[in-house]
Amino acid sequence: MARVIRQRPMNWVERLYIFEAIRGLWTTLKHAARGLFRYEELPTISYPEGQPEVRSTYRAKHRLMLRPDGTPRCVACGMCAAACPAHCIYIEATASDDPRIEKKVKRFDIDHLTCVFCGLCVEACPVDALRMDTKEIIFEHRTRDEFVANLKTLTSWDPKDYPDDAQSQKAPGGKLNAEARKVWGMEVKN
Amino acid sequence: MSNFYNMPKLPTENSPKVEIFVDDKAVMVPGDTNLLEALKAVGIETPHVCYHPYLPVSGNCRQCLVEQEGPRGRMLVIACYTPVAPGMKIYTPASSARVKNARKATQEFMLVNHPLDCPICDKAGECTLQENYMEAGQNESRMRPEYGKNYHGNPAHQFIDAKGQLRGGKHVDLGPRVLLDEERCVQCDRCVRFMRTIAGSEQLQLAGRADHTYITTFPGEKLDHEYDLCVTDVCPVGAMTAKYFRFQKRVWLLSHTPTVSMDDSLGANIWLDHADGHIYRVMPRCNPEVNRSWLSNTSRLAFQNFDKNRLPAMGFHVIQEAIAEAKKNGGKVALVAGGSCTIEDLAALRMLKESLGDSAELFGGTFKKVGAPDGIAMSGDPLANRAAFKLLGIPDDNLDNLVDRCRNDVTKGAPEFKVLVTVNNDIFGEGGAAVATLEKIPTRIALTPFNDATAQKASLAFGIRHWSEVQGTMVNSLNILQKLNACPVCPDEKIRAAYDVLSELAGNKFESAFDAFKKAGEYAGVLAGLSYDTIKSTGKLLEGGNA
Repeated sequence: MARVIRQRPMNWVERLYIFEAIRGLWTTLKHAARGLFRYEELPTISYPEGQPEVRSTYRAKHRLMLRPDGTPRCVACGMCAAACPAHCIYIEATASDDPRIEKKVKRFDIDHLTCVFCGLCVEACPVDALRMDTKEIIFEHRTRDEFVANLKTLTSWDPKDYPDDAQSQKAPGGKLNAEARKVWGMEVKN
Repeated sequence: MSNFYNMPKLPTENSPKVEIFVDDKAVMVPGDTNLLEALKAVGIETPHVCYHPYLPVSGNCRQCLVEQEGPRGRMLVIACYTPVAPGMKIYTPASSARVKNARKATQEFMLVNHPLDCPICDKAGECTLQENYMEAGQNESRMRPEYGKNYHGNPAHQFIDAKGQLRGGKHVDLGPRVLLDEERCVQCDRCVRFMRTIAGSEQLQLAGRADHTYITTFPGEKLDHEYDLCVTDVCPVGAMTAKYFRFQKRVWLLSHTPTVSMDDSLGANIWLDHADGHIYRVMPRCNPEVNRSWLSNTSRLAFQNFDKNRLPAMGFHVIQEAIAEAKKNGGKVALVAGGSCTIEDLAALRMLKESLGDSAELFGGTFKKVGAPDGIAMSGDPLANRAAFKLLGIPDDNLDNLVDRCRNDVTKGAPEFKVLVTVNNDIFGEGGAAVATLEKIPTRIALTPFNDATAQKASLAFGIRHWSEVQGTMVNSLNILQKLNACPVCPDEKIRAAYDVLSELAGNKFESAFDAFKKAGEYAGVLAGLSYDTIKSTGKLLEGGNA
């Protein structure tokens, strides 16, 4: 049922306009003054010089986790591609050189122009090979092809950027790599 | 334990119907078969692993348990080896919790040492164990991770993996075409029975005992047989994998086109499994009358060359001009049909001959050796559509006649034939030096999908669609009319089917394959009045019975 809201007629101070205009601009003026004198307390960031803080749980750009010997953990099962609602993952598989591992990935493309960053691929991955914790939220490239992340770009991350993550530290260059490599045992060529 | 089991008796249309009681309800089932097939006939699917309708019943998986009322009360029996008897009382999981629990327990035992590597298993998606798990299993895992799974394969193939677990036999090379994964094997012995009974060459064996049974070949021998890829089909799990398809595509991404293999006159029924414009594998399509569930390696692996070395469709007007000139100047035209021509192609070819009148002559046949049927899925005759040649009145064995006449003419002077049109017939490639005299014919037009020897010797090679890319029909050596369906894998949309090209040359272009089939009905009475819908997926036996 419709409800009628009666508006109170403006009194003469309000009808003078000038005081009401100042009252309306008060918030803006307040923040402008704070930007001049107490910059640090501003609730906004001055992008792009200032960057937002991104948490590791934020669904950012993908990365492929690495085994201690540096090969991608991905076993090319295609579960992420099957789960992907945007059909932006393309995988080709081949036989692995490691006799203990059957299948390895030959081609792994994620089209970040099509990707909707839903994170279903990460949930679908049975071997925890695919993660979205890179905190990279800015995608800037010159051509459309460069937006397609391939195996090389997905695996070129630095363990130093993930100091608290034990799994990341097991990759080559990480703190736990030597230990993990001993358990892993075998040297495998890419 | 004997190595020899009985073949299951499968129900037919003529099976006597008997009344049995399933879950206390009376149903009429085929009376001369086993319980599993009888229940299937009334729509009750029984999960099974080792049972295969075209393999002897060994009954080792115990997955198809049902309860039967007997003199000592209700007993669990395996449905695959229990013959149907009138009045028998059967209880399925629909009414019996005992059957349900028994099947669930069997399923749990089967999965105890089966690796959970479904994500990397090529069989995932069409795996019997997965289906049975959904149907009969769904148990909570009682695995204790500290013990892990027990490796039960060949001790020579075991290793310790990165997690410290004993594993092994992940890719045992059985032969040139098949790999074995001993961890995944559930010892159903289907492959052993296939090689023993169907292939007739006992190359696979079960070795070891009890929990440590594994599949192997004899020492120093390999699995190498014309039908050895069938073991990858019968394997209910991903233990046997074909090297050519290994890791190529996940099976749920494949679309399936039912068609007929046109490299042999038995016309083995096949599925063309394709995705994104490529055929990835060829699987046998069950047809009890023709190839059952089997397919030879020749037919199965032929697809690898279907998209290689293809010809473009260019220069149609040259064919038209050549034929028009021959018609005007009275030169004779030789129309040569090849084995993989469908009935539609043959009808169009005959129509072209009739439009040219006496100046054209039909030839057909092959120079390839005609072998003997092997009793499984090959008739040995490379002229696939020979029966249809006979039906449509096209000669199926007079290529020698063409060559001889040409040779005689050449010794006397110019050949009588001015134009040679070959359709799907690699006459120069198959005939070799014997047919070199045909090169004296001034205009040689090859309608062929491939850039083969005939296309290279032709004055014009015109690309047409391959049999895997056309809709059509063929009559096999058992006189069964079978249907080909077009698989959308043609490399170029502009390439047309042979009947399309030939009918346009004849001046009466067919709008569709069915128009050509109707035309074939005018030439052959048995085909008249049929439509593609009346030909079942397993084909239609033509009048006159088996030839």
